[in-house]
Amino acid sequence: MKIKKATSTIIFEIITYGLLAIGSLVCVFPFIIILSGSFTDNVTILTEGYSILPRNFTLSAYETIFRAPKDILQAYKMTLYYTVVGTAIGLIMITLTGYVISRREFKYRNQVSFLIYFTSIFGGGMIPWYLMYANVLNLKGSTFAIWFPALMSPFLIILMRTFIVGSVPEAITESAKIDGAGHFTIFAKIVMPVLGPGLATVGLFLALGYWNDWYRSSMFSTNSETWELQFYLYDLLNATTALKQMSQGTSISTAQLPTESVKLAMAVVATGPVLLLYPFVQKYFVSGITVGAVKG
Amino acid sequence: MKKVKRLVSILLVLTMVLALTGCGSKSAADSLDEAAITETAPEETTSAEETTETEAAELDTSERVDLVFYVMGDAPADEKMVEDAINEILLERVNATIDMQFSTWTDFQQKYSLELTAGSADLIYIANWLNYGQLATSGAFEELDGLLDTVAPALKETVGEANLNMCRVDGKIYAVPCAWAEYVCNGIKYREDLRVKYDLPVPDSLENFEAYLLGIKENDPNQGLLTVTTEESQGFLTAFDAAWIFNIKYPWVNTNGLPYGLASNYDTPADVYDYWYSDDFVEDMKLMKKWADLGFWSKSALSDTNNSESYKNGLCVAEIAGQNPNKQITALQDFKNDGHDDWQSEYLAYGEVTNTIYPGHATQNGTAIVRGCKNPERALKVLEILMTDEEVNRLVQYGIEGVHYEIDDQGIYHNLNSASPTFAYEGFNTWALRNGEFKLPQETDVVLNEMFDKYEKLGEQTKFPNVNIYNGFSENYDAYQAERTAVSNVMKQYLAPLQAGLVDDVDAAVAEFRQKMTDAGIEVCRDGFKEQWAAYCEEYGYK
Amino acid sequence: MEKSIKLLPRCNAILDKKLAGRKTGVFITAVVSLINIILSLPFFAWINVVNIPTLFPKLNITKDMATKLFQSYSIFNLLSFVQESNQGTIGLYAMILLVIMAAALYFNAAYLVKVVFNLKGSKGNLSLYATGRTAMFFEVILSLATFGYVIFSNGKFGMRGFQASPIVYIVTVLSLLSYLAVKIMEAEERKIYKEHGILKEVRKNWVLFVMLIPTFIYFMINNYLPMIGVYYAFTNFNFRDGLWASPFIGFKNFEFLIKADLFRLTRNTILYNLVFIGLGNILQIIFAILVSQVTVKWFKKTTQTLMFMPYFVSFVILKVLVYNIFEYQYGLINNIVTSMGGDRIDFYNTPSYWPVLITLFYLWKNIGYGMVVYLATIMGIDSEYYEAARVDGANIFQQIWYITLPLVKPTFIILLLYALGSIMKGQFELFYQMIGNNGVLYNITDIFDTYVYRITMTQPLSIGLGTAAGLYQSLFGFIIVVLVNFLVKRKNPEYALF
Repeated sequence: MKIKKATSTIIFEIITYGLLAIGSLVCVFPFIIILSGSFTDNVTILTEGYSILPRNFTLSAYETIFRAPKDILQAYKMTLYYTVVGTAIGLIMITLTGYVISRREFKYRNQVSFLIYFTSIFGGGMIPWYLMYANVLNLKGSTFAIWFPALMSPFLIILMRTFIVGSVPEAITESAKIDGAGHFTIFAKIVMPVLGPGLATVGLFLALGYWNDWYRSSMFSTNSETWELQFYLYDLLNATTALKQMSQGTSISTAQLPTESVKLAMAVVATGPVLLLYPFVQKYFVSGITVGAVKG
Repeated sequence: MKKVKRLVSILLVLTMVLALTGCGSKSAADSLDEAAITETAPEETTSAEETTETEAAELDTSERVDLVFYVMGDAPADEKMVEDAINEILLERVNATIDMQFSTWTDFQQKYSLELTAGSADLIYIANWLNYGQLATSGAFEELDGLLDTVAPALKETVGEANLNMCRVDGKIYAVPCAWAEYVCNGIKYREDLRVKYDLPVPDSLENFEAYLLGIKENDPNQGLLTVTTEESQGFLTAFDAAWIFNIKYPWVNTNGLPYGLASNYDTPADVYDYWYSDDFVEDMKLMKKWADLGFWSKSALSDTNNSESYKNGLCVAEIAGQNPNKQITALQDFKNDGHDDWQSEYLAYGEVTNTIYPGHATQNGTAIVRGCKNPERALKVLEILMTDEEVNRLVQYGIEGVHYEIDDQGIYHNLNSASPTFAYEGFNTWALRNGEFKLPQETDVVLNEMFDKYEKLGEQTKFPNVNIYNGFSENYDAYQAERTAVSNVMKQYLAPLQAGLVDDVDAAVAEFRQKMTDAGIEVCRDGFKEQWAAYCEEYGYK
Repeated sequence: MEKSIKLLPRCNAILDKKLAGRKTGVFITAVVSLINIILSLPFFAWINVVNIPTLFPKLNITKDMATKLFQSYSIFNLLSFVQESNQGTIGLYAMILLVIMAAALYFNAAYLVKVVFNLKGSKGNLSLYATGRTAMFFEVILSLATFGYVIFSNGKFGMRGFQASPIVYIVTVLSLLSYLAVKIMEAEERKIYKEHGILKEVRKNWVLFVMLIPTFIYFMINNYLPMIGVYYAFTNFNFRDGLWASPFIGFKNFEFLIKADLFRLTRNTILYNLVFIGLGNILQIIFAILVSQVTVKWFKKTTQTLMFMPYFVSFVILKVLVYNIFEYQYGLINNIVTSMGGDRIDFYNTPSYWPVLITLFYLWKNIGYGMVVYLATIMGIDSEYYEAARVDGANIFQQIWYITLPLVKPTFIILLLYALGSIMKGQFELFYQMIGNNGVLYNITDIFDTYVYRITMTQPLSIGLGTAAGLYQSLFGFIIVVLVNFLVKRKNPEYALF
């Protein structure tokens, strides 16, 4: 049973589909270039530039990256570990905090919000932060130092607060309280179930943060066994520049440095898995009730 | 009511009284007895140190010490295996172990300073490109003068008094350099095969270099000529790589002259003159403009950073910035590996033209003990063993013989897994532990050594035979930090386009550049630099 | 014991007497506040330097240096002693004293203003008392810390070189008494408005406090304790003295900011950020609405995924792509232009193109990512609103205008407010990778972060410079956020950040 659509709806749909199609094309275009470049012979890239389809097709870039498959698999494993542990713990802490500072009956919610927000503006810089973990807590080399510092962020907490305020009307929690429900009950039975999109958003941001991080490995890892994937790749890249500069001053071997196509292949290796996983998270953003949809 | 008023007024009066008594803090100098002030720092502490040093002549190794050796770069796959082999020997000899820690190549400058700040390492790699001079002045390392005599006389002998003296900062030794001299003289790398093919001159002067490039352009208009960027031109000497070519014209004491647009010649280091404000400079910039207009490099070169593979893949026919003999060797190897057997690379050091050849400075590669190290004696002793014991030195530099490398009949080093080495040549990146006596030559070293021999002979004929004058100098710019940063910005904004030939009117652009430099306070920097430089030349007798 | 019981009502009686519409207690404490402020003025000595003839040689202070030193110091110029005498070890403590002093002054002044103008909040005098209590609290802390400072530095130097002046004793006693007085008055007021103090709150909402414990620990370790490093902005670091004892040099690290074209840098940074925040959010909302309206499932999923992709392109790779597109000789655009018979465009030597290009690439990279927040918000909207609107005959545009946008507004305002705090913090990676070392473009593409980065690169030991720059950025953002948040809060407290 179909209902005739209004003219305005038709116009709107044309605009929607048109704009989204153009937007997607623009966004995916560079990625296609990267993908094709990663399968192109290095000299071809340097002499002829980038193209949409690979020329002189070769897998040598991937062979270079996977030359030591054990190392890269270990890096994948560690990144997965950091992402899962960090996102799980972080999401719980962020949601709890967001819940507390969204409660009207909590007298100090503004003060707490301010104290959390304040950290996003003021900071002592990298050095004391590093010394805190490396010297005071003596965590250099541990995996804890890699996932702990990114557990929460003021941005995500405040985002979570907005989601909670937006999706849980005060009246509902008030009536639950009158029925004798405690905070943990309200949190688990009333807030969590309706927080789907919020949890998905914050969880996604947290997970992406972990997946894309290389900095904490750079700071705290003392052994390549604890390296994050992005650091593993980033360090390969940096070795090129560093050794190039250094060999200016002293005799060192600069063989085995990554080429253009290897750099592109790295980008593919690092982002591929996330893009494959993304559709699974996506259902929280697309499965809501759609406006203009006709219930049949 | 009244009570309150009275209370308030009493309180106010009280403060006023206090105000009057507390007011006007007097100068502290008033209460100082002149005799009570000593103008110089007390001497007792230093003499106390000396006595302890002499007592410690016999090293106490009763307690096991675990040392951390911080080096640059990435760890080799077989780090653990080689460390164990070294530690077995070290435990037996001096009851100590070492644990190599690697900076990795990501943010290594920053992490290096952090490591020194945190003070968790004992031994650390130093180099002038890691700002050894400034760090030593700032007190990042332990003084080694006394310790070397008492704990490690053999090390002192191996390295040599002259080399050690070059590591002096403010009169004190803070680092032990490596015991192997090398030449890193900058120059031009160019394509000999193309030069011969088109019958072009050897690029041994500005004119000939121009003729070489023009000749190739005429014969093959599609051939790229130079890939110059700003990559090799950070700092206070140049702002664009093309300007390195002027080393072929001037016999400067250092590649690209002195900072802040100053210059002095190798034969007369103390005689500093002005380059940026001279007519030579205008003339040079006009040449750059001419070359840029001829299309020697891309008009977008200032934003390009991707020059690493151009020469290797034949996209350019010469490299003029940041080159050295070792890079020539790499180029030769690359051509061979990539199947370009008909391509030939040739190398011409700028110093060959201007007669200013000198070896690398001692501070190029060295090892220091981090300030606050709990066992400096043991650390130095371990360093001595690492450098002067043939067995240990080979272990730390090349790994385990038979597992990681082998030596052939000619005594040449071969890695046993050259495809993906588990411990490469100098796999711990301990370039500072090189000892000429034990150093194993690689296949490519034959050509390299020929080049070094040639340079050594040339170097002997200079006024200061085989002495690297400039690189031992470290500037203290505390007094003019703000001006210095302003100068660095003007260089990027106004000097770079000049040197890249991107301006329409060179005279006007030079005038603007000079004006901006003056506004930025270049004079302050120059005065500060000249004063320190003069003192440095005086100290070492570079007249 | 008995005496104190008798004393309390008497106190109350005195404090409760009315005077010009205010309680006497308020007046007395306000006077104490005034005294505190007066005594904090620079010409009152809080700390005396004693035993100078033995102290100075011990600290290696020469005759020359001594002429710049005084026999007594207020909290204000105490740091000048640290600076002129080269005693970095006591610098951090002196700095902390100054910060407490600033806080105390602020609250004392606020208290005075509230008393004089008889400002009342929604709950009578409660906010007045809260201010007064805080002011006195900080004053007590300040005076105690001053005693601590004297003990600390005497311990450091191993002799009696410093002495607290009588003023400190007076301030301690007065403030302590006033604190108690305010407390007593506050307790009565609380009874009227059925408000409670922190202890009661903890007892009542202990579950909420428990929920906050992990967060508290996290922010303590990760943010608040390291914040002490702000002190580096005022020191000239060297390894010999270490992080906490390096010479204190006042505002010298900030000099380079003034030397630089601070106005231009600030302007560039703020303008770019405003454009990024404004355009970015608007486009994110538009695209989020568009995606939410798509009915074909596969199209919805695909477009959303594709638009998310640019987020994963690292800036290093972006730089290479950008260079290959805009290069003069063989760049993609110039190839197209010349094949159509046009003249080559010299992008890399023409600054005016770059603000547009940078903005485009920023948007390109961030729309898909930022869109997620708005999409989630829209998904959270109750479908009944739309049903009702449709029954009323609203078309799709009206539905968006009257339902979706108002409900997205809170999220938008929060994100906007949040972003304002970082208004002086530029997108470093974006600018650094796209512009790099190309000085020709600096005039309109140089932002604060790229400038500071270049400076710290030329100076290996520039811990102080970097921290000083960060402090400037933070202060700038902080002031703006506090102002805007205040305005937002007056209009609608629900939208405020804090």
